[in-house]
Amino acid sequence: MSLSSKERPSLLPQRWNSLKAREVRLAWAMVLPTALIVFGLVLFPAIFSIWISFRSVGLNNLNNVFQAPFVGLENYRLVINDFAFKWQGFRNWGAAVTSVVYSFSSTVLTLIVGLIAALLLNRPFRARGLARAIFLFPYVAPIVSVAFVWRWILDPRPSGVLNDILMRLGIIELPKAYLATRGLALLLVIVFEAWRYFPFAMLMLLARLQAIDTTLYEAAEVDGASAWQKFRFVTLPELRYVLGATFLLRLIWTFNKFDDIFLLTGGGFGTNVLPVLTYQFSFRSYNFGKGAANAMILLLMLVVFLVIYVGVVMRRAEE
Amino acid sequence: MTRTQSVSSSERLTLIDHLARWITWPRFLFAITLTFFVTSILFPFYWMASSSFKTYAEIGSRHPVYIPSALRLDAYQELFGYWQFANNVFNSVRVAVPTSIIAVILSTLGAYAVARLEFGGKEAMLNGILIVYLFPGILLVIPLFAMIAQIGSTLGFEVQDNLPVLILTYLAQTLPVALYMLANYFRTIPAEIEQAGLIDGCSRLGVIWRITLPLAVPALVSVAIYTFMIAWNEFLYALVFLNDRRMFTMPIQINTIFNDPTPRPHVVMAASTIMTLPVVILFLALERFLEEGLSAGGVKG
Repeated sequence: MSLSSKERPSLLPQRWNSLKAREVRLAWAMVLPTALIVFGLVLFPAIFSIWISFRSVGLNNLNNVFQAPFVGLENYRLVINDFAFKWQGFRNWGAAVTSVVYSFSSTVLTLIVGLIAALLLNRPFRARGLARAIFLFPYVAPIVSVAFVWRWILDPRPSGVLNDILMRLGIIELPKAYLATRGLALLLVIVFEAWRYFPFAMLMLLARLQAIDTTLYEAAEVDGASAWQKFRFVTLPELRYVLGATFLLRLIWTFNKFDDIFLLTGGGFGTNVLPVLTYQFSFRSYNFGKGAANAMILLLMLVVFLVIYVGVVMRRAEE
Repeated sequence: MTRTQSVSSSERLTLIDHLARWITWPRFLFAITLTFFVTSILFPFYWMASSSFKTYAEIGSRHPVYIPSALRLDAYQELFGYWQFANNVFNSVRVAVPTSIIAVILSTLGAYAVARLEFGGKEAMLNGILIVYLFPGILLVIPLFAMIAQIGSTLGFEVQDNLPVLILTYLAQTLPVALYMLANYFRTIPAEIEQAGLIDGCSRLGVIWRITLPLAVPALVSVAIYTFMIAWNEFLYALVFLNDRRMFTMPIQINTIFNDPTPRPHVVMAASTIMTLPVVILFLALERFLEEGLSAGGVKG
């Protein structure tokens, strides 16, 4: 008996009470609450959303959604043909195109502003710690507060502070309705995104900047490199991976973002994006099936982008 | 006369010379950019706070009032009187504090298991939790609502205006982040310290309680603050799940005041100031702990 167990120990069934088995059970018990909440309230609803997008769900049967009638691709057809969704020429982009333009431009602008801020804070000066803390304010403050302050600054009346400043400087003659002008509204929403989220990019980049080997700069100096050349040929290549990762994260989050545009413009004046449109389908016209279909299209666009990004950009980075 | 003039002008020259030598192009650019950043960041916050101390007359005048004539509390009186904002503050606290406490407890357990213990399916579970980053909140809110409505009708509770339901959805949003932050921190604690405890006859849970947690206090504090801030600031789920004005959390009430037919910017700004202040104070007080978490992808936003 003891001999055989010595010969082939691995084939013996692991004992229920062995130390290892107890540790595994303890580990599962410890992870279980978190796993249950996350899977039950995120992953399951995400899958359930696919199901809803093929059903007709309105206010009347929301409480009894499992009996909702199957309608096939009807919801998707409705979304794709919806005037708020589809491209209708340069004067009216529709939410799909607006979403893409908005996400890409605000992510790029956020990265540029974040990079400038990181370079500023990378050199020592008095009160750098304080400046660093202040730079993070826009990112930590509640979105509702900052969105409404911006709306109040951009107030269309002559008493709006931006109107007042620009009129005093003689840049504009009449007060402007910034967030109610097509084009301008989208531009300002993008600027707002950069204002609010540059600190995130800044922190990521700053951490990397401070880890760059200073001998690289010394070597460049010996070679007679100018400040621009040092930035272009030393700093930027060192930041490449962080820039890529930050770009990807911010793009995903911006593409999914609902609050910012909903609070700033309500999706009007050429700023309607897919998350806001999903909300409108679901909670303005109470067509939850159509809302779910719109959300699925949004997710699909994101996944297609990610696949392309990982396939093309990552592969090129490896080469 | 001519002599004194020439002396003073030469003095001025040296002064300008001196300045010119000090202000090199890079320094000048640096100062300008820094000033631009600081003003464009701080001005909105100044405008928020200062507007909250203005009166109706100052808010509605033809030109904006840059500095309020006095610290008038008209807006705050209206906010707490007519709008009963104290109620909303209380609701926000009732949601954010439990979210934070429960998230810290659950994620501590989970993160310890992930960081220290080996178990089958760990990788799959971690990847599953990571996917949360990909799903937009707006995609989840519809099925969540339908699902909880279904469960509620069998078990006999309401989806809407039910703060525990809201806490549960906030937990789902914050737990993955909390788990990652804590697991990363636990990995930095040398395993030998814990093994010493185990050899001395402590149980696993005893080791966690007596050794790991005391060492992880900074990380626990930052996770607590983060989850608190996420729940405190959250807008979309609260907008969908809350219907009764008495149950509104602060963001929803501020949105309601803003969308009232009569514009009351000073009242909105007063409410915003009240909502922003605790977050900014917490952040400034604990900045050192928090920055690392921010860059670790802490806050999904």
